[in-house]
Amino acid sequence: MHLAQLRLRDFRNYARLDVDLTPGFHLLLGGNAQGKTNILEAIYLLATLRSFRGVGGAQMIRHDHRGYFVGATVVGEGTHAVKMYWSPKERRLTLNGDPVRRLGDYLGVLRVVVFCTEDLQLVKGAAGQRRRFLNLLLAQTHPAYLTMLQRYARAVRSRNALLRQRPLDETALESFSREVVGTGTEITRLRHELIPRISPLARLAYRRISNDAEELKLEYRPSVRADFAAELARVRTRELNYRTTLVGPHRDDLDLTLDRKPASQFGSEGQKRSLAVALKMAQAEYVTGLRGAPPILLIDDVMGELDAKRRAGLLPLLERSHQASGQVFMTCTEENWPHELGRRLQRWEVVSGTLNRVADGAAAPA
Amino acid sequence: MASLPPSLTRLIAALSHLPGVGPRSAERLALHLVQGEPGGVKELARAIVEARETVRNCSTCGALTETDPCELCRDDRRDRALICVVERPVDILLVEKAGVFRGRFHVLGGKLSPLNGVEPEDLRIAELERRVGPEGIREVILALPTDVEGDATCHYLAQRLREVGIQVTRLAHGLPAGSGLEYADELTLTRALEGRSSVL
Ligand SMILES: Nc1ncnc2c1ncn2[C@@H]1O[C@H](COP(=O)(O)OP(=O)(O)OP(=O)(O)O)[C@@H](O)[C@H]1O
Ligand SMILES: [Mg+2]
Ligand SMILES: [Zn+2]
Repeated sequence: MHLAQLRLRDFRNYARLDVDLTPGFHLLLGGNAQGKTNILEAIYLLATLRSFRGVGGAQMIRHDHRGYFVGATVVGEGTHAVKMYWSPKERRLTLNGDPVRRLGDYLGVLRVVVFCTEDLQLVKGAAGQRRRFLNLLLAQTHPAYLTMLQRYARAVRSRNALLRQRPLDETALESFSREVVGTGTEITRLRHELIPRISPLARLAYRRISNDAEELKLEYRPSVRADFAAELARVRTRELNYRTTLVGPHRDDLDLTLDRKPASQFGSEGQKRSLAVALKMAQAEYVTGLRGAPPILLIDDVMGELDAKRRAGLLPLLERSHQASGQVFMTCTEENWPHELGRRLQRWEVVSGTLNRVADGAAAPA
Repeated sequence: MASLPPSLTRLIAALSHLPGVGPRSAERLALHLVQGEPGGVKELARAIVEARETVRNCSTCGALTETDPCELCRDDRRDRALICVVERPVDILLVEKAGVFRGRFHVLGGKLSPLNGVEPEDLRIAELERRVGPEGIREVILALPTDVEGDATCHYLAQRLREVGIQVTRLAHGLPAGSGLEYADELTLTRALEGRSSVL
């Protein structure tokens, strides 16, 4: 899968960008604050309709402008034109010229995996970070997952609204509990199935990029261990006090351990960083295995943070993506660009919101 | 700067309150009306006022009607023992179009939605319970949307009506008729599988 074209209008510091792209490896080079990450953010946004920086739409509009536009031609199973316009007043999303009605129809069209400094939160951050990781992975590989997740979230919010009311309407509460239990059980089941599939991939990736012999383990910690309805009944009095839904997949976590010790507490910074990269590599491998074609890889600043050994660990993934006519975008400042990737790459120079192709044969930056 | 005459501005403001009409189209409609043929505009105004004054909800089933009870409720050829519960008055037309249902209707007027502050008392549920006893109803068929609120409302109604000892059914979730599996989304397929029935 690759992007054949990318177009930006008033997106971050890009007033206007029209660029044709080939499959393969793209290196975005430039000083700080020139707009390298912004390009990755735009591609990720088209794929997931979110920013990997965790910000809302308004922040991505170029200062003092009304709305942004991001568009691309995606070549995967067929060729697709995707276009997105966002302003505080208007949102438009089209696939091949038609407005997108169901997100499920859209989200499989462009698949990406991002590697960025924020990934460290997968290890260090709260459980929500890891749930989001599982959600994205399942949404990329299981077509009904997203609809289910949306239904579940709505049912939980409805249920919480009922729990806040006095007097309590028992019958209405039970009606929404039923929906929570139905979709929640299915979500838990899919997560149960997923973990053992990505766990060996993550372990292998971790071994490849770290110098340590520690054994990485991923373990699913579902909030609901047996029967969801029974567990809801069990916490009932507490729910009436807290006035919110206390059990369910919205409370799940994923335990990450190195030699059976929680990585967040006992891992070194380097180990945590390697673990975060390993999780993302597992995501890329899993999506590739299931879909037959590698997702587009977006690699932001990560190389600079990894030492040579860890960088070398990432290489097989990059190479594989390369061979399968996939596409990789990697940002680098001049100082830390990975020379081991010297062959066959397209270099781009990013200077304050412009992208310039560096001709083949031009001297590599020192 | 020249501005629009006040009466035209008022007309634009009034039109822009209509559903699906934004400020732009309100302006376009208003300009069209004030420059149109006076007879046509009078006719339109009369039609609006007349429709508003004569159309009301049937006090029995909630359908839109000019006579109370409505035609459907007065039609003795329709089965009194069957009642089909729908969310909105227009849903009656949809079911009627299929032409196979020969019972009566009941409009709920919405669905339970704690997030939008719609509670059971805001729906025509008490009216439904009142009908169920005296009208000799045997089965209540729920034809409500299949979203979270629709599903919860079905379950809620089933619980309330269980107390009066009546059979409550709901429309099957299935595949769109006349199309292949490739046109059904995954959730529809999942539910169609759950609701599968024996072939022979
Ligand atoms: N909404 C916006 N409108 C205009 N400019 C913006 C907007 N948001 C960010 N910028 C600008 O974009 C630039 C940052 O872009 P980006 O984060 O892509 O930098 P970068 O090239 O990745 O830098 P670094 O090497 O430091 O990571 C800054 O100059 C910032 O002021
Ligand atoms: Mg950056
Ligand atoms: Zn009637």
